[in-house]
Amino acid sequence: MTTFATRPAEPIAPKSPKPLTKGQLAVKLLTTTDHKLIGYMYLATSFFWFLIGGLLALAIRAELAQPGLQYMSSEQYNQVFTMHGTIMLLMFATPLFVGFANVIMPLQIGAADVAFPRMNMLSYWLYFFGSIMATAGFLTPGGAASFGWTAYAPLSNHIYSPGIGADLWIVGLAVSGLGTILGGVNFVTTIFTMRAPGMTMFRMSIFSWNTLLTAILVLIAFPPLAAALLALESDRLFGSHVFDPANGGAMLWQHIFWFFGHPEVYILALPFFGIVTEILPVFSRKPIFGYKGLIAATIAIAALSVAVWAHHMYASGQVNLAFFSFMTFLIAVPTGVKFFNWIGTMWRGSLTFETPMLWVMGFLITFLLGGLTGVILASPPLDFAVSASYFVVAHFHYVLFGTVVFAMFGGFYFWWPKMTGRMLNETLGKVHFWTLFIGFHTTFLIQHWLGIKGFPRRYADYLATDGFTFMNMVSTVGAALLALSMIPFAINVWITRKAPKVNTNDPWGYGASLEWATTCPPPRHNFHSMPRIRSERPAFDLHHPEHAAIESHK
Amino acid sequence: MKFGYRLFLFLFAFYAALTVVYWQMANEPVGITALALSAGLALIIGYYFWFINRRTGGILPEDNLQAEIADGAGELGFFSPYSWWPLPVAVSATAAGLGLIIGWWLTLIAVGALLISVLGFVLEYERPSNSSSH
Repeated sequence: MTTFATRPAEPIAPKSPKPLTKGQLAVKLLTTTDHKLIGYMYLATSFFWFLIGGLLALAIRAELAQPGLQYMSSEQYNQVFTMHGTIMLLMFATPLFVGFANVIMPLQIGAADVAFPRMNMLSYWLYFFGSIMATAGFLTPGGAASFGWTAYAPLSNHIYSPGIGADLWIVGLAVSGLGTILGGVNFVTTIFTMRAPGMTMFRMSIFSWNTLLTAILVLIAFPPLAAALLALESDRLFGSHVFDPANGGAMLWQHIFWFFGHPEVYILALPFFGIVTEILPVFSRKPIFGYKGLIAATIAIAALSVAVWAHHMYASGQVNLAFFSFMTFLIAVPTGVKFFNWIGTMWRGSLTFETPMLWVMGFLITFLLGGLTGVILASPPLDFAVSASYFVVAHFHYVLFGTVVFAMFGGFYFWWPKMTGRMLNETLGKVHFWTLFIGFHTTFLIQHWLGIKGFPRRYADYLATDGFTFMNMVSTVGAALLALSMIPFAINVWITRKAPKVNTNDPWGYGASLEWATTCPPPRHNFHSMPRIRSERPAFDLHHPEHAAIESHK
Repeated sequence: MKFGYRLFLFLFAFYAALTVVYWQMANEPVGITALALSAGLALIIGYYFWFINRRTGGILPEDNLQAEIADGAGELGFFSPYSWWPLPVAVSATAAGLGLIIGWWLTLIAVGALLISVLGFVLEYERPSNSSSH
């Protein structure tokens, strides 16, 4: 006699959910606390701002194509490059990190959600409204902020930058920065408290590691920015004298701003290094080379990045060149270590070049060039020669576009099946990559020479006799090609919206981290079942037990 | 979580050392303050992790190299299924900032709305302690 009944097997076939009505969808988007949906909202919103920032970049390039002022006044040009920088750094790249971290990191550590789901949503809304506010200056009579994204004092005070656009910029960034800080708190807490059993710190995927260190940098860097912005607004509104040059306010602003600004560069770089490090082993069919060395390098970068801020201020003549130059050279070492890790991962691997891997190749080439010019700029005598010229513009576009945009598209193509359940088209992906790659390098490679010949950044115009015309024209043509490369991507997203479902957990066949052990797309709380975690490649151990890590016998 | 406090105490030691070096080399007040405050931030978090680790002791399932997934069985925590509150908090915070620029009347209204929405956010899942439904 049995005293128990067999539990009926749970239905395996997924119910096909009824599509939501428009109203239900709106309510869902307004109220969701699902880290994946919030992540998608972050990704979509930041991509929208990427397109807006790109249009502003095209306006800049169109103006510079020929000598003379064709389309814009100098003031409009100032507004356009100010908002281009602000949008690309604080409304595109930073929230893009938050988006990827939101979607991927909880999956990789085996968590059901982030630690504070409602605060996650609050971060998103603060970013959403803050960004609109900072950009709304374009709709005011005086136009948007026009003091450069660095907002140097005293240029940013109420005498030199009157008008409501500057105020909207300052307060909008403070609101949006608050959202970023809350996001940082959320990620640190999630990684320290919500890992799955067996997911020790040194079994976490590199992307999750980089998310942790980036979030710590957010906690260090963004509060000084928020404080500086609020003090600046107090100067403008209430007549306080925090950034009054009579009290040394000009240097005070530069120090505080760059104490935020330099870690910010690493906030933009580290998570995208993480994405690249996720993609490389999958298409090299090898584990990451030097996992712990890579983590040590990342910790070193995060620690050192707060000690290099004044290398943006060499030309002020009021900073200790020896300290900052040494620290800047020092930070190149762990970055170089990462390159060895990446190359070591590919070394004698079984490489295939699917679209995500192509983007990683684009990243490696572009970021290497940006890093090398960074070493040049770290040397004060060389920096004095090219400071505030197009050489610097070319340098930071190689660094930031190389990391953020190449790794972003790599991440999109790589995780698209995980996010949507459908693959993107490979052929269009390759067209997309090559147009973007050629467009980018045509635009920016020549700007190094433009800068060395003496074309200063932030100038709306130049003379035909300066000899900058041809190089500027080449750069503008490249920018047009770069813009066109968004078309194959848009077509790709559109035509694959109803592509067949991948119906497998690991469509790339060699996925390593835990997100490849759940369905595509994952269920509401991420996992129906979770494999045992014995290495930094739990999904690989699950799908390829014949190669399961030897670490389990440690 | 030994690693948590080790990481943050390392950052504290590193930033503290940097503060001293920077003080000696540059003697520039803004940077000294910023580095010292960064060291303080790392110290607070590191001390908290150290303190919690000492008090709770033991090895958590997520730090156990030989853990099974089932070791984490039980209540994972509370996850809000959805919430209306983040939106009004963010709207009123933005409006409070906007009011600084376009007029104090808006800030006054927005701060009131912010207080209400923050209370709603914080207390959304709070119930009186004698409630049986908790």
